[in-house]
Amino acid sequence: MTADPSAPPLIRVRDLCRDYGVSRRREGVRGGVVDLLRPRRETLRAVDRVSFDVAPGEMVGYIGANGAGKSTTIKMLTGILTPTSGTVDVGGLVPWRDRGHYTRHIGAVFGQRTQLWWDLAVVESFRLLQKIYEVPDADYRRQLGRLDELLGLGEFLHQPVRKLSLGQRMRCELAAALLHSPRLLFLDEPTIGLDVVAKESVRTFLRDIRESQGTTVLLTTHDLGDIQQLCRRVIIIDRGRVVYDGDLDGLRDRVGDRVELHVELRTPAASADLAADTAGLPVRWREAAGLQHVADFSRRDIRGAEVIKRVVNARPVLDLRVAEQSIEEIVRGIYRRGDAGDLP
Amino acid sequence: MNGATAPALPRWRRGPAATAGLYLRFMRLAFLKMLAYRLRYYTGVVTYTIFVAGNYFLFTAVYASRPEGAEAARLGGLTLSQMIAYVIVSWVGRSFTFNNIDRTLSWQVSKGEIAVQLIKPLHVQTMMLSEALGEAAFRFLLFTLPILVVVIPLFGLAPPPHPALYGWTLLSFLLALVVNAQINFLVGCLAFHLKNVSGVVRAKMIMMEFLTGVLVPFTFFPDWVQVAVAWLPFQAVSYVPVMIYLGQRPGASLAGALLLQAAWALGLFVLGRWSWNRSVRHVTLQGG
Repeated sequence: MTADPSAPPLIRVRDLCRDYGVSRRREGVRGGVVDLLRPRRETLRAVDRVSFDVAPGEMVGYIGANGAGKSTTIKMLTGILTPTSGTVDVGGLVPWRDRGHYTRHIGAVFGQRTQLWWDLAVVESFRLLQKIYEVPDADYRRQLGRLDELLGLGEFLHQPVRKLSLGQRMRCELAAALLHSPRLLFLDEPTIGLDVVAKESVRTFLRDIRESQGTTVLLTTHDLGDIQQLCRRVIIIDRGRVVYDGDLDGLRDRVGDRVELHVELRTPAASADLAADTAGLPVRWREAAGLQHVADFSRRDIRGAEVIKRVVNARPVLDLRVAEQSIEEIVRGIYRRGDAGDLP
Repeated sequence: MNGATAPALPRWRRGPAATAGLYLRFMRLAFLKMLAYRLRYYTGVVTYTIFVAGNYFLFTAVYASRPEGAEAARLGGLTLSQMIAYVIVSWVGRSFTFNNIDRTLSWQVSKGEIAVQLIKPLHVQTMMLSEALGEAAFRFLLFTLPILVVVIPLFGLAPPPHPALYGWTLLSFLLALVVNAQINFLVGCLAFHLKNVSGVVRAKMIMMEFLTGVLVPFTFFPDWVQVAVAWLPFQAVSYVPVMIYLGQRPGASLAGALLLQAAWALGLFVLGRWSWNRSVRHVTLQGG
């Protein structure tokens, strides 16, 4: 089952805003006393007129730097937080108003928090969740069997949660969020702190779930790998606003897909010398430290191999490293170019 | 899935039988969890024995130092043997009614852990009350009874004036437990509004010893204090059940005393529900 973008949306977010009141501290002892008597309140807008639709079965990456407003949006979409203004409609329900009805249909994994009962065996937590969501026995057994097959839970199902490793726990969290076959799954940093192998198994699992159960997934992450492997569509949020909403390729095109090539030389040279080596190619060189230089170019214009070949042919090279842009850099890139205003 | 109309999420509500089953399960799990930590409670038996012993010696000395005479045999309306019963029943009762809802809830709120509960179709207040009841069942069997077994031979406990009062005292302590749980829940809710609530939690614990009558019977206080505490819910946590045991029930009658407790239990539950809904709707949760 794959998402059909032309289908009517399951999630409809319109002009969503959320303000926070923060107190600004004055300086010094006198300031402290004045603060006590007359606190200086200030309103910060964490989420600013955010609008988007998500079709049933879609898997969307919701990304942005720390403090960009990701978590605040997710909290409003899961019904934990009431917005200052704006609307959210999920299948006819308003998350924060219809929480009793709505929470039956959603599952969530918050990377750093556990929804399992710390002192209980994993399977006890699962049975409790079965009761909470009123999953019929047959459905529960079928779903647990399927989750076990995909996540390999059998080995630690009877251990208390506090004895599990982070990777094992994350697998249990995912299973816990999906035991009641929710229509919507919210994932807040689901691969944070995991090693490469565990990350990979979580990603494979999420792909399987989307395909086999048609679950609609909204995912926040810092990890570009998660996005690349899971989401065709990304929504980028910066300073509370949506600055990009579209597919990942479109994002790369727009930002220019910058790549940095770090070169460590055997013998000293000026950046100008390296620029001469790669004359004719659209590459910018700068000196990093001592024998280290950095070439900055766009993957759209040239291939890394071309740059490497020129440099290696011209002078002795000790080491080479290619660095891709992180999500933060991509987001920053959008802002530097001043595109934010006219992005869809 | 590709219908012309928007996909609708069905409305859903848990039936009464399923609700009862769910919250009974929370009780059972809380009981099992305590069982896993039962070793911790053996030291508690010693602690409570020391509390009782301290108060026992204090009041024995106070009564002994009174001048001879008929009036001197009573202090605050209680004879020495009643006073000792007061001390024992109130402390032993405390071992049953005590719970940590205030600390647990305020921690969960200030760390943002409460988010995990809020995304589930759960009534957090009822869940916490169920857990408190499950813990209380454990405490009764493996904490309160052992304390009684140690304390009674050491200090002697005068029986209540009527055997039926054993049962009424037990019922009264059950209501006391519910009242205490609701007070703690309300204190825990303060974490939604205060940055640092641990000081309030500690202050509340000390104030409770005083206002519930565990430390000293209210009859020792000046009249205006007695009037004040009579209007507060705290007496329902300890003073009322202990007085029922002594046959000196406060208020008009035994039934009146129990009804007062039940009214506080219900009233505070409603207040807690209101405070919770308001807090969740209006307050920002900390952390991602």
